[in-house]
Amino acid sequence: MSRASMTHSPRPAGREGAVETTASQANARAHIVLNAALAMLFVGLFAQSASLPSSMWEPLGAGSFPQLVLGALIVINLAIIVQEAKRYPRLAAPPHGLVRDWLWRHRLAMGVLGLFALFSLAVPVLGFPLSALAFLLLVQILLGARRPRSLIIALVIAGVFSFGLDWLFRDVFVISLPRGPLG
Amino acid sequence: MMETLLSGVEQLFTLGTMVSMLLGVIAGVIAAAIPGFTITMAIVLTLPLTFTMAPLQGVATMLAVYVGGYSGGLISAALLGIPGTPSAVATTFDAFPMARSGQPGRALALGIWSSFFGALVSAVILIIAAPPLAMVAVKLGAWEYFSLIIFAMTVVASLVGKSMLKGLMTGLLGLFIATVGADPMMGVARFTFGSDLLADGFPFLVVLIGMFAVSQLLQEVEDAEQIKQGKRLINADVSFNPLTAMRETLAYPVNLLRSSLVGVFIGAVPGAGGSIANLLAYDQARRASPTPERFGTGTPEGVIASESGNSATSGGGLIPMIALGIPGSAVDAVLMASLMVHGIGVGPRLILDHGDLVYGMFTAMLVAAAMVLVVCLFSMRFFLRVTDIPRSIIVPVVLVCCVIGAFALNNRVTDIYLLLGVGVLGYVLSKLEYPLAPLVLGVILGPIAETNLRRALMTDEDWTLFFTRPISLILLVLAVVSVALAIRHRLRQRHAPAS
Repeated sequence: MSRASMTHSPRPAGREGAVETTASQANARAHIVLNAALAMLFVGLFAQSASLPSSMWEPLGAGSFPQLVLGALIVINLAIIVQEAKRYPRLAAPPHGLVRDWLWRHRLAMGVLGLFALFSLAVPVLGFPLSALAFLLLVQILLGARRPRSLIIALVIAGVFSFGLDWLFRDVFVISLPRGPLG
Repeated sequence: MMETLLSGVEQLFTLGTMVSMLLGVIAGVIAAAIPGFTITMAIVLTLPLTFTMAPLQGVATMLAVYVGGYSGGLISAALLGIPGTPSAVATTFDAFPMARSGQPGRALALGIWSSFFGALVSAVILIIAAPPLAMVAVKLGAWEYFSLIIFAMTVVASLVGKSMLKGLMTGLLGLFIATVGADPMMGVARFTFGSDLLADGFPFLVVLIGMFAVSQLLQEVEDAEQIKQGKRLINADVSFNPLTAMRETLAYPVNLLRSSLVGVFIGAVPGAGGSIANLLAYDQARRASPTPERFGTGTPEGVIASESGNSATSGGGLIPMIALGIPGSAVDAVLMASLMVHGIGVGPRLILDHGDLVYGMFTAMLVAAAMVLVVCLFSMRFFLRVTDIPRSIIVPVVLVCCVIGAFALNNRVTDIYLLLGVGVLGYVLSKLEYPLAPLVLGVILGPIAETNLRRALMTDEDWTLFFTRPISLILLVLAVVSVALAIRHRLRQRHAPAS
């Protein structure tokens, strides 16, 4: 797994304490926000699981096991928040544009994720062959296929792994993938 | 018995059977190497092709797919960091770092040999000890199953990485995800919010692919500079030395045997399966190792433990099926279906009424293990070429295969949406350095734990039965010891002098 890149900011003149890193502070802030949101979500789900029916045939009902798990999740999320808050008791205000910089550094991953989301949503509408063709072509272009030769290779690969896979599953394995307008 | 054995062997070693087994092995390896496809899916696709075959030939072909599949999952686990099958999750922990450090050939070769020896050990145990082992396996009631799952959950302690809290959180999150959908005992809808998307819960395979495959593939394309330069997955000269790897595998005989035995035992427990076996075997190897801190960094011991453990479940899974007519896993259920199609009733009398068939199946396991070894050793150089493919091609192609795998599972488009959602969750968790393996473990074990807990209490509300039934007590004590050792290890690490 990749690790967050570490950048060091110079020690402010006249301020005590260990040298803080911008990325570590951002990481702590992200943890606190995420875990607080999760804790609230789990509290809501815990309340909902209390309303699940019990059974006359068993001491535990439909909501017992989820309550057990959700209760533990709430406690652990709070513990993580406390741990992160203690580690960075004086979180400085985030530098301007931190999120935008992070998104720019991860632009290719965000782009692929966005295209993957569109692909997933397009499958039932356009069918697997067409949506896969578009997805494969667009991702390869996004990731650097710009010259004529690499574009031709991208097109061939897109064709093989869209219509080719559709044929393989339909005629060889007898598994029908969504056909969309081609159906 | 000797005549029956020889009769079975004679029926097995025909040209047609050997050819169909070889094709089965190749199909199993390829199917399992593609993320999103499972051994179960491969076996199900093979079933109709066996209808016109003789009974032993049909079953032997499916066993070949089965054994091949357990080895095939290693390929994408090592080269892409994506478990090709659920039984290869733990393989990613060390095979992937080993491959990325410039030794993909070594990772694959170690895995292939470990799979071979694991399958060999399980076939030998199958032949020798099937009936008595089956009698132990069926003594396990709901209390013992629950305690077994508790013990299996202590594996989380090995998977948490640097932060115990984060590991526990993702493990519990996995347990919660498994509760979404229909309640296993009452059928009540839980946490579906009236949505068709969540009505059937989160299929385990969708969670596995989303967590591991989607998040890993997104991380592959993060470095814009590497993508621009067309950098390969592994920027090193790859070499493949099977004999060196064989010697290296055999240099850890205790690990190999212990992991294989874990695989056989877990395989013999109906419903447990290879997905638990590889994690348990890995965990036990780590605890027994004099250098546990090397696990997760590319140590050969981790690869050997995981691959021998998961391959050994192939023989273990046949034990309850042959001795008692109870399938050990979904794959064994399909094998039973294959026998029924040929008019052979599967039950406790199978070995008495069709001894030649049963001994033929035992021999087929041994032959399939040898075929997998030969096929993999010959084809690994081809699979290693995958590392030459630029990321710009391999990432979208594997994502498309993942979508097919998610859809083909239940023929539901909603599973593709779930794959997207879980993939985003997995990516976010991995960026914040939450370990993903405990979440997958929670999704696997959650339903089994809940079902057996409630079943046990439904049978008898006395909680103390968990501690008074001997096998259950032993498993709970092992779980406590396991957690205590993990905590002790962490405390020692924390107080160790800095090097």
